[in-house]
Amino acid sequence: MMFFFEVLIGGLMSGIMYALVALGFVLIFKASGVFNFAQAAMVLFAAMFMAGMYGDWGVPYWLAIPITILLMIGLAWVIERFVLRHLVNQEPIIMFMATIGIFFAIIGFAEIIWGSRSRTLDVGLPDDMLFIGDMLFQQYDIVTALMVAVLVVLLMIFAQKTRMGRVLRAVADDHQAAQSVGIKLSTVWVVVWSVAGVVAVVAGIVWGGSLGVQPVMVDVAFKALPVLLLGGLTSIHGAIIAGLIIGAGEALAEVYLGPIIGGGIDNWFAYIIAMAFMVWRPEGLFGEKIIERI
Amino acid sequence: MAANAADVTSRARSSEVLLKVEDVELRFGGVRALRGVSFEVRRGEIFSIIGPNGAGKSSMLNCINGFYHPTSGTITYKGQPRKAMRPYVTASQGVARTFQNIALFKGMSTLDNIMTGRHLKTKATLLENAFWFGRAKREEMEHRKFCEEIIDFLNLQHVRKTAVGTLPYGLQKRVELGRALAAEPELLLLDEPMAGMNLEEKQDMARFILDVNDEFGMTICLIEHDMGVVMDLSDSIVVLDHGEMIGQGTPEEVSNDPKVIEAYLGVQEEGEA
Amino acid sequence: MIYRESGQFKKTYEADQAILPLRTDQIFMVGVLLVAFLVIPMVASNYVMNALLLPFLIYALAAIGLNLLVGYCGQISLGTGGFMAVGAFAAWNLATRTELPMPVIFLLAGLITAGTGVLFGLPALRIKGFYLAVTTLAAQFFLIWLLQRPWFNNYSPTGVISAPTVDMFGWTVDSVTDRYYLALIILVIMALIAKNIVRSSTGRKWMAIRDMDVAAEIIGIRPMATKLKAFAVSSFFIGIAGVLWGFLYLGQLEAEAFNIYVSFDVLFMIIIGGLGSILGSIIGAAFVVLVPIFLNVVPSAIGLPLGTAMISYVEIFIFGVLIIFFLIVEPHGIARLWSIVKQKLRLWPFPY
Repeated sequence: MMFFFEVLIGGLMSGIMYALVALGFVLIFKASGVFNFAQAAMVLFAAMFMAGMYGDWGVPYWLAIPITILLMIGLAWVIERFVLRHLVNQEPIIMFMATIGIFFAIIGFAEIIWGSRSRTLDVGLPDDMLFIGDMLFQQYDIVTALMVAVLVVLLMIFAQKTRMGRVLRAVADDHQAAQSVGIKLSTVWVVVWSVAGVVAVVAGIVWGGSLGVQPVMVDVAFKALPVLLLGGLTSIHGAIIAGLIIGAGEALAEVYLGPIIGGGIDNWFAYIIAMAFMVWRPEGLFGEKIIERI
Repeated sequence: MAANAADVTSRARSSEVLLKVEDVELRFGGVRALRGVSFEVRRGEIFSIIGPNGAGKSSMLNCINGFYHPTSGTITYKGQPRKAMRPYVTASQGVARTFQNIALFKGMSTLDNIMTGRHLKTKATLLENAFWFGRAKREEMEHRKFCEEIIDFLNLQHVRKTAVGTLPYGLQKRVELGRALAAEPELLLLDEPMAGMNLEEKQDMARFILDVNDEFGMTICLIEHDMGVVMDLSDSIVVLDHGEMIGQGTPEEVSNDPKVIEAYLGVQEEGEA
Repeated sequence: MIYRESGQFKKTYEADQAILPLRTDQIFMVGVLLVAFLVIPMVASNYVMNALLLPFLIYALAAIGLNLLVGYCGQISLGTGGFMAVGAFAAWNLATRTELPMPVIFLLAGLITAGTGVLFGLPALRIKGFYLAVTTLAAQFFLIWLLQRPWFNNYSPTGVISAPTVDMFGWTVDSVTDRYYLALIILVIMALIAKNIVRSSTGRKWMAIRDMDVAAEIIGIRPMATKLKAFAVSSFFIGIAGVLWGFLYLGQLEAEAFNIYVSFDVLFMIIIGGLGSILGSIIGAAFVVLVPIFLNVVPSAIGLPLGTAMISYVEIFIFGVLIIFFLIVEPHGIARLWSIVKQKLRLWPFPY
């Protein structure tokens, strides 16, 4: 039983990582209807810059992190200026493929600067063991979970309470209507991609801290996608809950199901959970129902 | 076609009911888009559903071709009552339509759009198509010939190979009509065929509708909020308002109905004054 | 350059519906085929054939397959690599476990892949767009995992198995020239089939679904059957490409060789070459095969040699940028640019 809980908790922790990436997707989809395949590349980009600046140039983390955040804002601006602006009103499938282009452009760019070798990223989060009752926890996991909780609360406050948040929701509902009441689409997009960039920085710190920074990190994108579908494309708390479900589910499946049907099933198990669920409810756990019109 | 034209008068008077709508009700959650609508469309006539915006006209059309399913009531087509039916099944039974907001295949040429409208008449299998033998080639030529006749009829020769996405609005409406005609339907549904057109284009479109009725002998059911055009075209009319039927009959009867004048014409005249 | 349609009047619809209605195009195509079949085998070195031409021909076939699905039917797929693997492994297992003749094995491998494609295309009934992208990603990961199970490589200890020599119609396809010819012949035949399909009623139905699926259904097109047909045909092409990739190009098989990045490569080809164009698929494949060569040669020639690692980084970056560029500027890719050039030539020297 003890073992079960340890596996479960380990799974929930990786679930939080998936959720962090999925969160970036949700923000951008909510505000612009763009399915941003490049979110995971943004995580990698942020992590590589933080680790690279510290490792190669000796920039301390308290400085490297704000610089990276500025960089992500710059990236958001570049993406808006050179990509999104030219694709307004295009079909979603074209937008989606464009973000695949962004995905590769960002990764290529980061690699040109930093190469592809593995780096460590340790911003000084505590990582001692901690016993609560009989159970063994990593302090790192607990701190991470708290950081994510704070981030989610902040994002929700931003979306619900601030003026910008309301504007974002208006744009998500209808691009043209929002423009006609004087909301500038380009500003909105830069803001929302910047926010997603900041989420990517947090994800980069957490993810890179536990697994090291290297290009295969983007494979987490392939885990975040099912999380996204399970949670619903537009729901922030949906992304978190779905992340936890999928993280726990795949960890348990690998341990208990893996020996029966062969190892390595965590590559696709998340997809099976998400797809099985979508057959029943295509819009996901908390997504908005899609209504077809003509 | 000449022979068809000769039959028309007799068909217009024929009493065969092609489509019968009985007590149809359509609800979306708490909203009742249609309540207790009943009417009959006879073979060979031009039948119009009119009413102000939001009267439930498009919902009615969507029920007829199976895109929506009525909450209650029955729709009888060619003597067969039906309730839930996918749109493609309706189409295979000889119902074609056009849309208020043009729904053409934008990436394809005029010719291809019209040829697509004819696909119910093609029988070639995938394999025949892949090797371009047997029915594939033969049918392609037959249908091409038929579609060229439609193109001639609608005066679309000059844009035959142009991608429809780049055509002006009025021409797109015509291509859409062509696509519907290509299916040689028994019942042709037209959703506001003249919406957004200028006077000249409206007259052209009215001419095409009359010709389609005359030459091809198709039964036409159209919805429109432009009263003037409808009065001249239609054999009979139903008036909807807020999902309810408030009048029915020949154009003269409808235009003299006080309820219709109050609910519709009055507003219209004020609006245009 | 004389490129004119004047004087060429088509007297039948048949002539007008031909694949290449203009005589100049016909002559050009014959020229290309003559070069491909006669000149190239004489002048190209073994290295060029093995490292450039074979992957190009096979990729072109896969790209045509994917383009049928994405460019013509509008259903995105990120599972190309996985489906190629299915084709390759199906053929290998058929060749090892049965005595069937090679052409039958090829055909069966294609059909098995088509069936797999239909299976993973089933969700397309309820979902579209990105949802479908994710489903096909699931196919990619699941299929690669599945094909790594020992049964599929006949319990080979290393997981790598070598492909049998292809033997068909008494022709042993062994030397690199032979392999080039076989790949070329299959590509030409299948490109022709693809062209026939897209100009027929099947192709029009696909495009109707792509352009507006709701309207397509209302004019009587059955969405499910049509989409599944596209998945089947597309997967058939991709499966055959997978067989060729394993049997003619790699010479040995392992599932990992067909990973997600193969899927992306093929997607790049159709975006760059042109969505909804058979010719574009072929041009796109050539482009994607040539870019790395170009990056190898050009920087050294201008005195800025790049390391091997750097070349791969720059390549990733350039492909990303090119994808964005083509989607913004010309979603119909190089193929459309080519037809614009032809359009201009038709009127040359007059601007209109």
